[in-house]
Amino acid sequence: MVEMASGLIAIAASVAVGVTGLASAIAEKDIGSAAIGAMAENEKLFGKGLILTVIPETIVIFGLVVAILLWLSM
Amino acid sequence: MLLPEPMSRVLVVGTKQRLPDTIDILYSLENVHIIDFPADVEGFSLGSPMDAASDASGKLLKLRSVEKDLNIDEKEQVEQVPISKIENNLDATIAELESEVKDTIELRHAKQAQLADLEDKLVQLEPFTSIPLGLEMYRGYTSLKVMAGNIRTNPDSALSEVMSGHYELFTSEKGTFIVLFVSTKQAEEAQRILGQNGFVQVSIPEGEGIPQTIGAALENDIAAVKREIGEINDKIAELSDRHASMVLASDEHLSIKVEKAELPLRMGASAHSFILEAWIPTDSYDQLDQALTAKFGDAVHFELLENRGRADDEASVEESADDETDVADEAPLSLGEETPVKLEHGRNAGHFEFFTKLLSTPRYNEVDPTITVAIFFPMFFGLMVGDVGYGIPFVVLGFLGLRMCTSKDWRAIATMLFYGGIWSIFFGLFLFGDMMGIEFTAPAGHAAGLVPGWETPTWATLLGIDIPHTLFSIGNFDVNLGYYTKLGSVEPLLYMSLWIGIAHLLTGLALGFYNVAIRHGLKQAIMEKLSWILIMVGFACLLPVAIDILIRGHDIDFTNPLLMTGIGLFAVGVIMALGGVGGMAIVELPEVMSNVLSYTRLIAVGMSKAGMALAFNYISLGMIVGIGMENMDPTTNIVMLISALLIFTVGHLAIFILAILSAGLHGIRLQYVELFKKFYEGGGLEFNPLKIKRRYTVEE
Repeated sequence: MVEMASGLIAIAASVAVGVTGLASAIAEKDIGSAAIGAMAENEKLFGKGLILTVIPETIVIFGLVVAILLWLSM
Repeated sequence: MLLPEPMSRVLVVGTKQRLPDTIDILYSLENVHIIDFPADVEGFSLGSPMDAASDASGKLLKLRSVEKDLNIDEKEQVEQVPISKIENNLDATIAELESEVKDTIELRHAKQAQLADLEDKLVQLEPFTSIPLGLEMYRGYTSLKVMAGNIRTNPDSALSEVMSGHYELFTSEKGTFIVLFVSTKQAEEAQRILGQNGFVQVSIPEGEGIPQTIGAALENDIAAVKREIGEINDKIAELSDRHASMVLASDEHLSIKVEKAELPLRMGASAHSFILEAWIPTDSYDQLDQALTAKFGDAVHFELLENRGRADDEASVEESADDETDVADEAPLSLGEETPVKLEHGRNAGHFEFFTKLLSTPRYNEVDPTITVAIFFPMFFGLMVGDVGYGIPFVVLGFLGLRMCTSKDWRAIATMLFYGGIWSIFFGLFLFGDMMGIEFTAPAGHAAGLVPGWETPTWATLLGIDIPHTLFSIGNFDVNLGYYTKLGSVEPLLYMSLWIGIAHLLTGLALGFYNVAIRHGLKQAIMEKLSWILIMVGFACLLPVAIDILIRGHDIDFTNPLLMTGIGLFAVGVIMALGGVGGMAIVELPEVMSNVLSYTRLIAVGMSKAGMALAFNYISLGMIVGIGMENMDPTTNIVMLISALLIFTVGHLAIFILAILSAGLHGIRLQYVELFKKFYEGGGLEFNPLKIKRRYTVEE
């Protein structure tokens, strides 16, 4: 059943990356559109908008780290 | 270097006769940031523009209208005109231009109106050309009514039914236009029938004669007028060419004059004197002093109000009070404007100001983060790309950008790409040892390739040459072409990225410590920032222990000195932070871990690039050196080769472009979000000195 176990690990890793990716995407979608709206009013807000937009990216990075840890334990 | 340039606030007071010369001096230094004078200071009013302003703006208005008429383009490259020439010829030029241009433009307007009129007539006449009647036939009847217009359906049958033949109907060939002659008595009836058939009346053109003939004549007239307009346009173009340089130069000259003449609006004034406050870089104080003394002697009063320190409170006033006692006593005009920030950098680091200002201008009393961006951003970018094959195009792209772009923003990006490219070549050569995702050579005892089962050839086997894995040795240290592969040694690389993160964050915290220290003193800095430095160092001590336990599965060993030190530092740090910033410290604690983990993206981005490159290489190289090729016929071989090269090129181009986006964005994000949050506040006021930029004029 070794095969089965590593298959489950692989699925777990993919879920970790995939779901966190979706989560970041949803969060960034909202922030991104708001940032564009703010930029339309004041172009100087680009830098701040960029920062706020990429903040949720940490979620998927965590997912990736978990996935890599899982992968290494395969 | 780290802090923005030190600034001094100065006061200039003089009589109004000296004002024009004073303004000239202020502009010539290009280093004076005027503080807008508040309108509500007792005893002073805001200055009014100098007399020169209204005269110059009047002329400027005329010039601008000429510019618009002549279509003179701002960007046009023209020779520069010396100022003396403008001064001497300005009035004559404006008069000449006005008369010449005005007449020509008016003529063009008239001709254009005439053209529109003629074209209108032609349009009106057009439907009548298909009716075989002279225009004089349409009018002059007493008992007949004439109706002409467009119609949807032919009314002939309906008319003949109701009017029993007492009418005359002309229809155009297409049947969409009719002319109807009926007796006035039956007009109403006819109108109703026409209305049912979708009749829209048009007016009958004036004049006599056959419409075709009139139309032809009109067309001739139109052509003639168009020709005339063309000639006028040529003349205008010629005028524009002839006068462009003079007009642009005069415009610039007058604009500068107006700007200078309106400067008093930003100063205070009494009946006969002016007063102005300004920020200047402290080291150009002497320069301004000398310039004013040389010009006026003692006639214009100039004094140093303060050398602004970095502390947040107004303690700095005391410094200047030591040598300028009277200032502290009076202190009548503390205009309270924020100290402007002038960043000073060398040529290379200076380009990175763009990235700082993209976020916001630093404050006067904080470390200018440009230098950290200049160091870390290209380095992180290079680490994420980490490939000689992409590094070289980045260097080329950056180099070309620096050679060809004039815009400051693009030059900043080009500089970043240039240094980022150099770093990625460096990391590609010595850390990862790969080019286009293909290793240079496999180290002895290792299988070629990155991931088991996905073996790809190395450059050594591809090119059939011998590339040494170890280039040279320094002492016992072998300098290798690559120590890790991006996909093959994920664990040590991730581990490394965490340490880079800790180092980066500690840099940020150290800068933050410095910031707080210069603003609020050492004690505050220790409580607020040293606590976090201790927490971070404690975390760094715990990190290897945690990895040992969590990943390698070892048992917790409480005698481990690293563990105990880590916990100790962490605890001390937390207690200090609680004292320094209160309960918020607890909320911010998890941030330590999330910040550090965030740096794993340094490797993750590189891995994703390597993964994509691996896929493309596997396909394309598999097609070229794949098994079974020798059995195919030569034509298939060539087709395979071409498509393999195509896949290779397109694939790597895509990765390259993605690398700009992802490595660039993630690289700058690590600066903005992780690093800057540790020390940077931003929101400063940019130093905006009085300065004159000449493009079309030259001073002699």
